[in-house]
Amino acid sequence: MGIPSDDELDAFIKARLTLAGVDLNRLPESPDPATGAPTRAQAMEYLRTFLAGAKTGGVRSGGRPAAINTWRPPAAGDDSAALSQQADPPLEYPSISTAWTDAR
Amino acid sequence: MSRAYSRRIFLARSGAVTAAAAVAAAPTAARAASLARRPVLPDVPVRKEAISDPTEATLAEAATLLRHRRLTAVRLVQAHLDRITAYDATYQAYVTVTGAQALAAATEADRRPSGPLAGIPLCIKDNYFTAGVRTTANSFIFDRFVPAYDATSVARLKSAGGIVIGKGQMGPLATTRATTPDGRITTVNAWTPTDPSVDPGGSSTGPACAVAGRMATSSIGTQTGGSIVLPSNQQNLTGLKPTMGRTSIYGVIPLSFTRDHSGPLARDAMDAAIMLTILAGPDPHDPRTLGLPRVPDLIGAATPVRRNGKVRLRRATRIGVPPDYLTGASSQVIALRKAFLATLDAVPGARTVEISYPADWSLLTGAFNDVRLAERTEPFRAWLQKDPTLFGVSLLSWLGGLMLSGDEWVTGQRAKTHLLREVLDGVLNDCDVVLQTGPVPFDILGLPEIGFPIGFDGGVPVGTILGGGPYEEDRLLEVVAAYQAVTDWQWRRPADPPQARVMARAARPRIDAVKAAATSA
Repeated sequence: MGIPSDDELDAFIKARLTLAGVDLNRLPESPDPATGAPTRAQAMEYLRTFLAGAKTGGVRSGGRPAAINTWRPPAAGDDSAALSQQADPPLEYPSISTAWTDAR
Repeated sequence: MSRAYSRRIFLARSGAVTAAAAVAAAPTAARAASLARRPVLPDVPVRKEAISDPTEATLAEAATLLRHRRLTAVRLVQAHLDRITAYDATYQAYVTVTGAQALAAATEADRRPSGPLAGIPLCIKDNYFTAGVRTTANSFIFDRFVPAYDATSVARLKSAGGIVIGKGQMGPLATTRATTPDGRITTVNAWTPTDPSVDPGGSSTGPACAVAGRMATSSIGTQTGGSIVLPSNQQNLTGLKPTMGRTSIYGVIPLSFTRDHSGPLARDAMDAAIMLTILAGPDPHDPRTLGLPRVPDLIGAATPVRRNGKVRLRRATRIGVPPDYLTGASSQVIALRKAFLATLDAVPGARTVEISYPADWSLLTGAFNDVRLAERTEPFRAWLQKDPTLFGVSLLSWLGGLMLSGDEWVTGQRAKTHLLREVLDGVLNDCDVVLQTGPVPFDILGLPEIGFPIGFDGGVPVGTILGGGPYEEDRLLEVVAAYQAVTDWQWRRPADPPQARVMARAARPRIDAVKAAATSA
């Protein structure tokens, strides 16, 4: 699978924002000193870059979701995927967990 | 699950239920304030500069003078208000100045001193709830918000006798250096008051400038991505971001639930220790603060130890130096860092050691930093749905938070677990404290870090950041106190801004939404 085209990214972004109840049409088409809010074009390009990376030479190199969803806790061996499931349970507050579990 | 773990989870959940009931019954932080510690402050030697001008004094010096009735609270508060009147049009450190209330509190403090901070004027970052005082977080969203109660941190400082002199400017919703919600730069670096282009550090810019510019004796800010230690570094202060849970964030407008920390931006290690001692401890309103190790003797830790007249570390301490510490900065900054390391190495008990980063350090502290964005989006969703222009210049990162899926957010939390083990079993296995080249890794993990000055580059302060293990703020203070006992950077104050060069608000440059997103905490 390659990186989506800008048209595909735009379709995804607009659908996601609609599902979230956020309307980018409320943003100005040109810079608005009264609010400082980004233009619609700036918002769309920020989100394209967030999702698929900055465009260099007409090509995007990969964004935040791919950087995150291709990582998994390291585990060695033929069953690494299965073993990785057992490693590093999610901790919202890692430092607090050290106190609550006397882990250090 | 160990019995200890389940008991602590129970305590935390009980605390949350208790908190909900308490809020419903009486929306105040009085109970949390009643749990505040009331330390006995030490008498410290007072420099002659602080005797002739009380705005020069550290918190410890001012408290010493007040206790011995060599200074009145009214004189101390009035002296700071006079400087606000004279210079804040240039500094723009304050959103709101509560001068009349502060003077009334000072009069009362002179009549009946009410705690260790009695009479001490403090700047409070404008994302802390302050009862009856507008709390804007420099945003359109909270422009007219007047809380009915104080944040726990504010309540504790007031309960200890501290006087709120005003609310400090900040980056909109705690994102960037301080600007108005539409992106006009407000607060300058107190060391370069006529040049707004010099970075003053954000987002606790106003509290830092207020203390550096002698318009408050001390202050509190918040940190999600460096917002205590970075403005402290930029303005020659000592800022202490405690371990997550050490201080309550009840009554703080959230930026990222798992990374928001409350802590002091102070004049030196002792002042930071005094402030944190009063702020720290369990708060029934914030379950993150419950079931944690007791608060150590921070004031003792910040008291330099001397043997035969020579400063030494309280405990033998290995100071980790990461591989990019002496490479990833300008030549001037690297020279200052080398001098800092040489000074520290010469203190008996201190030993610098080289440490290495784990292989995935850049990924887990870089791209994974954006996992936080979903946390800022969630509590603000209603405003995003109502009108995204309400976020002004800071909007973009809130939109970014909508683009990550739930499973990716969970992966981010697993990465935290992995990174924590790498830091505790790896980096901090080879040292006791570790120098940082940026605040984000320990923000992600909720580990403590302290920013403090190590010199100047072209008249602008240069600081460094030291991180430690969970709930080991005392160790950080021991190191910084020893370093500050053999150096004098922390005593230096910026020159007053030339009054003729006062710049009108309209003259300040702006940052745009794209830059705001790129520099957001």
